[in-house]
Amino acid sequence: MAGLELKQLLKSYGNVEVIKGIDLTIEHGEFVVFVGPSGCGKSTLLRMIAGLEDITGGELVIGDRVVNAVEPRDRGIAMVFQSYALYPHMTVYDNVGFGLKLARTPKDVRDQKIREAARILQMEHLLDRKPSQLSGGQRQRVAIGRAIVRKPEVFLFDEPLSNLDAALRVDMRMEISRLHNDLGATMIYVTHDQVEAMTLADKIVVLDGGVVQQVGAPIELYQRPANLFVAGFIGSPKMNFVEAGVDKVVGDSVTVSGPDVAGVPVAIPAGRLRPGDRLTLGVRPHDLVVAPSGTIVGRVGLVERLGNETIVNLELPSGASWLAVLEGDQILRRGDSLALDVDPGKALLFDKSGQAVN
Amino acid sequence: MSVSVSAAPAVSPAPPAPRLTRRSPYPGWFFTPAAIVYSVLFLAPTFASLYFSLTRWTLFDSEFIGFENFAQFFREPFLIKGLINTVIYAVVTSGLKVVLGLLLAVMLTSQIVARGYLRSVVFFPVLVSTVGVGITFTVLMHPTQGMINETLAMFGIAGPGWLTDPNLALYSVALVDVWKGVGLATVIYIAGLVVIPRDYYEAARIDGATPWQNFWYVTLPLCRPATSTVITLSFIGGLRTFDLIWAMTKGGPGFASDTIASVIYKQYQAGFYGLSTAGNVVLFILIALLVVPLTMILNRKQGHE
Repeated sequence: MAGLELKQLLKSYGNVEVIKGIDLTIEHGEFVVFVGPSGCGKSTLLRMIAGLEDITGGELVIGDRVVNAVEPRDRGIAMVFQSYALYPHMTVYDNVGFGLKLARTPKDVRDQKIREAARILQMEHLLDRKPSQLSGGQRQRVAIGRAIVRKPEVFLFDEPLSNLDAALRVDMRMEISRLHNDLGATMIYVTHDQVEAMTLADKIVVLDGGVVQQVGAPIELYQRPANLFVAGFIGSPKMNFVEAGVDKVVGDSVTVSGPDVAGVPVAIPAGRLRPGDRLTLGVRPHDLVVAPSGTIVGRVGLVERLGNETIVNLELPSGASWLAVLEGDQILRRGDSLALDVDPGKALLFDKSGQAVN
Repeated sequence: MSVSVSAAPAVSPAPPAPRLTRRSPYPGWFFTPAAIVYSVLFLAPTFASLYFSLTRWTLFDSEFIGFENFAQFFREPFLIKGLINTVIYAVVTSGLKVVLGLLLAVMLTSQIVARGYLRSVVFFPVLVSTVGVGITFTVLMHPTQGMINETLAMFGIAGPGWLTDPNLALYSVALVDVWKGVGLATVIYIAGLVVIPRDYYEAARIDGATPWQNFWYVTLPLCRPATSTVITLSFIGGLRTFDLIWAMTKGGPGFASDTIASVIYKQYQAGFYGLSTAGNVVLFILIALLVVPLTMILNRKQGHE
């Protein structure tokens, strides 16, 4: 097993730069998730690590070797593809053992490794089947099995669950998590689904426009996003934003007001903030609570009652709309006036350049 | 205030239960023109030829003689020779078209210079008239003045009599057939190769596959549908071959390169209409006997989705 180091990694197609100088350290045994919207460069970065895309600039170190010019097979990696890439003409047994066969592994050793992988993934009964006779989840398992038998130092997953239905995705997520615990291998996982990122990762790398926006533990990204992009991307439903100005600064508390909010206290060391500064206030829908004297007042729009919680679309005076996830079953009518409050410790502020104010 | 309830609206008769068989959205008479053309030009001659193969036929008069034509057909040694030649020709041409077509397609789907131009060059012979090709190659293959043997002579090699050597004539024509037909096989293979998902090759690359292993374990099995099409089309084409043989050797020297089709044509020229029709029926049965099981084997389900 091995860690990875990405030093100023660059990728361009002609004049178009898609990966713009990424620095990242991945510890040995870590589960790292690259997450970001479509076209952010996460899959390209993974394919560069795999050796399927050339590296335009910078250095990629796996273990203690620079592998920029090393063939994929010699990088000590295995990859699970979004499409699974199972050969339709081969049985599960042959698919799992394909890499070993190419490496001319003796038949008895190959057989033992295939059966071991099948045992780990609980798919011994599937070995004689062809991929077309398997369900989506079973195919996924086979694809992982094909990676396991190579005993790689680094596992690479390229959106492996995106072809599965919601229920199966939850099962496979747990399966992959269990596998990480059992094997203790370094795993790099690409997804656009932030729930997968939050549940699986030791460390999340948020990418946008070929640039790393933030690297950190899932809960750190949720609670302390570095900028507006991360704040909006991590968390579901999305964080609410509104323009506001600084009213007053008292010790470790800043009060902000705007067209839609009146005197919202935010527990943030004032630092360089001065009254009159223009900022963006960010509040997660889950952090809003109903309070008759609340600082955020609007008109109730669409209401979704889910039993354990109620999702309210609040139309603010400026025409902006916020989402609030209120605890329990709230009986609200469209058009009602609703006042909400936010815990000062949970509201966030972002400066003009979109960076979080700490 | 009482509310009066108006009389229940008249219950309309229940709509007829939907038919289980899906009806075509087009009226039945739409297919009539095609049916007439097909019947007149295909069905009627087929059944007529089945009948005339059992007669002594002079175009104006026919006399029913049972299976006499077939018996005579199989008694003639040169007809048997034609039968064997036909099968050899079909196997050689379809075999070479599969191998060369696949190799050319692999080359023409890889990143090579002037790929589009080379694809046109490979396909060009398909567009040329068969008789034109036949005449051209007859000139090129002339034993003494042909360009092929003259070129060989420059290297001190005495070229064979491509079309005059009885042991070689059939194979020479088959080679020209392959030259002319390999473009179509290549195009079919290119279509088959470009739909193989790139993931398969990338997965194999990570597993450390060499180019040869890529070809053997990924390309070859996954272009099987294209292989089936190429084999079937070129095999049937080979069994029916006539124009190229006629343009190049007329079945000669002697009967060395006769195929069933050229033999039938000669019988027809000689006025043995019943006999030549029986030959056509034999060719029809031969093609059916060889091609039907062949396509069944080729199209056997291989676990493809």
